[in-house]
Amino acid sequence: MRQRSGLVRRGAAALAGLTVGALLAPFELLLVAFGALTLVAVRATPRARTRAERFVHRCARQLSAVEVWRLDRFHRIRDLGPYDDRAAYTYLLRRWPIGGLGALVVLLLLYGLVVAGTMVSAWLFDGSWGYIESADRVSTATIAVAAIPGALLLYINVMGLAGVVDLDAKLARRHLTPSVEEALTRRISELTVSRAEVVEVVNEERRRIERDLHDGLQQRLVALGLLLSRARRSRDPSVAGDLIRQAHEESELALADLRDVAWRVYPTALDQLGLQEVLAALTERSSIPVRLHYDLPARPPAGVETAAYFVISEALTNAVKHSRAKQIEVTLTPTTTTGAGDRPERSALGPAAGVRVTVTDDGKGGADVTGRGLTGLAGRVVANDGRLTISSPSGGPTTIQAEFPCE
Amino acid sequence: MRVILAEDSTLLREGLVRLLLEEGHEVLDAVGDGDALVAVVRAAAAAGTLPDVVCVDVRMPPTHTDEGLRAALTIRETWPDVGVLVLSQYVEKSYAGELITSGEERIGYLLKDRVMRVEEFLDALDRVGSGGVALDPEVVRQLLSRTTHTDPLEKLTTREREVLAAMAEGHNNSGIADRLFISPSAVEKHANSIFDKLGLSHSPGYNRRIRAVVTYLTT
Repeated sequence: MRQRSGLVRRGAAALAGLTVGALLAPFELLLVAFGALTLVAVRATPRARTRAERFVHRCARQLSAVEVWRLDRFHRIRDLGPYDDRAAYTYLLRRWPIGGLGALVVLLLLYGLVVAGTMVSAWLFDGSWGYIESADRVSTATIAVAAIPGALLLYINVMGLAGVVDLDAKLARRHLTPSVEEALTRRISELTVSRAEVVEVVNEERRRIERDLHDGLQQRLVALGLLLSRARRSRDPSVAGDLIRQAHEESELALADLRDVAWRVYPTALDQLGLQEVLAALTERSSIPVRLHYDLPARPPAGVETAAYFVISEALTNAVKHSRAKQIEVTLTPTTTTGAGDRPERSALGPAAGVRVTVTDDGKGGADVTGRGLTGLAGRVVANDGRLTISSPSGGPTTIQAEFPCE
Repeated sequence: MRVILAEDSTLLREGLVRLLLEEGHEVLDAVGDGDALVAVVRAAAAAGTLPDVVCVDVRMPPTHTDEGLRAALTIRETWPDVGVLVLSQYVEKSYAGELITSGEERIGYLLKDRVMRVEEFLDALDRVGSGGVALDPEVVRQLLSRTTHTDPLEKLTTREREVLAAMAEGHNNSGIADRLFISPSAVEKHANSIFDKLGLSHSPGYNRRIRAVVTYLTT
């Protein structure tokens, strides 16, 4: 039953789509004709020519956008990618005849339905039927005889409808999606950018580690050496003992520092305990209260865990430093679509599941998106093929959302 | 000796202040960044009690790059009588070069780790405070191992190079003699030969030494 109603709904949608498409056809024809005429008319003056070309292309682009909306809304064609103005124009040039064909098929259907409807009503209510002049009465025999060719015609008509929809989709896909080569070029440039960002992120990390070592640990060790040196030179045993006790405390602090730096380099607990445990520990250590909602059914791949950990950890650090928030929310939920945009090579495989990480604070907002902290974050996310969105209106709240595909 | 300290790590600053006091030096002030250092030296100059030496860490807030060195160079320019002992996290040849060419006396460049060897640190501080030079052996070693040494130094024998390296660290003749296990007169001979080869025979005594070192470090 549900399937049937689905079929009916789909049919209705297809019909509506075809109708809208048919209505668009004359406009497309007009634009194409206008384009051809103006280009011929201003052939001699190159400047006017480019202006005219640009205008025609802009119109073509807008009309194509309407077409894309129509195909998406009525025919569920969602994989139309970015296209340029020239492609839009070429598409319209070939699209209007199909629109006309659609109009023809829809009109045929309407005609058939009108004929059949009036015939049946005449038969039911004993009315006369204006389409047949010789016999003014529709008998059961007439219905029976007309039903067989009628059904056949209806079938052919429906096939025609489906065919036009199919043609429509094929044409749009051919002209309004990038070719494989273009898609690859785009993907390569995306990867090049993200690779550069990865390198930058790694370098930034290294700089930070170096700073941690030099400005933290090294100072402690030097201070420790200084204490021991002073103890050695001291002539008063009680002073020396005191200095050695201080040195001992200092050595413990140095060790704690070392542990911290190592943890910042890579939280090894991620491997053993998994993201959830490590996040629990991380959020406990935050100076602003953090509520953690971890709703992932299974452990994500190690790379995603690490990236998610660093995104959250850095977002928390930023929030503690700048936001003056009273409360931070950290949420991890599964997603069903890929984080990054349309990838032709992936749409063939169907949507891959991913992880969405959201960090929200109720602070003063106005986070500097171009600041080092946030660009570093973006780099980390891009490095994992993910997507980062930051919303931080002045006055808050600040929301940082990262989506990672898991594949 | 009157000392002013600039070191951003509170821990180390306190330790150094204690140490200097224990050793009988007078610590005029101890600050945590370059601007503050220049300010307190200026204040001391106004009060007529310039320090003999300032001891400054290279990396300090806000950017943790070379604030300390900038401050040191400013002090050298403004108050050339103040000795400057720079502490660096690691050997940074360009810093060392910049510092050495900024003047020819009262300069020291030590690795921070050297502070742990209190005797060496105090010795360097004394040398810089009393108008000498103190370069970290590690700095000298690295500059020695540099293969880009050009003409004037290529004329030197191995022994002469050793003597010059020791000079660069800031040792006087008898100190060099002790280090290389040769007689002071031999050191004297090597030194004169070095000055000849570097074309410095006509400069007055101590200055000549420094010149040789500068040539050595900046070619």
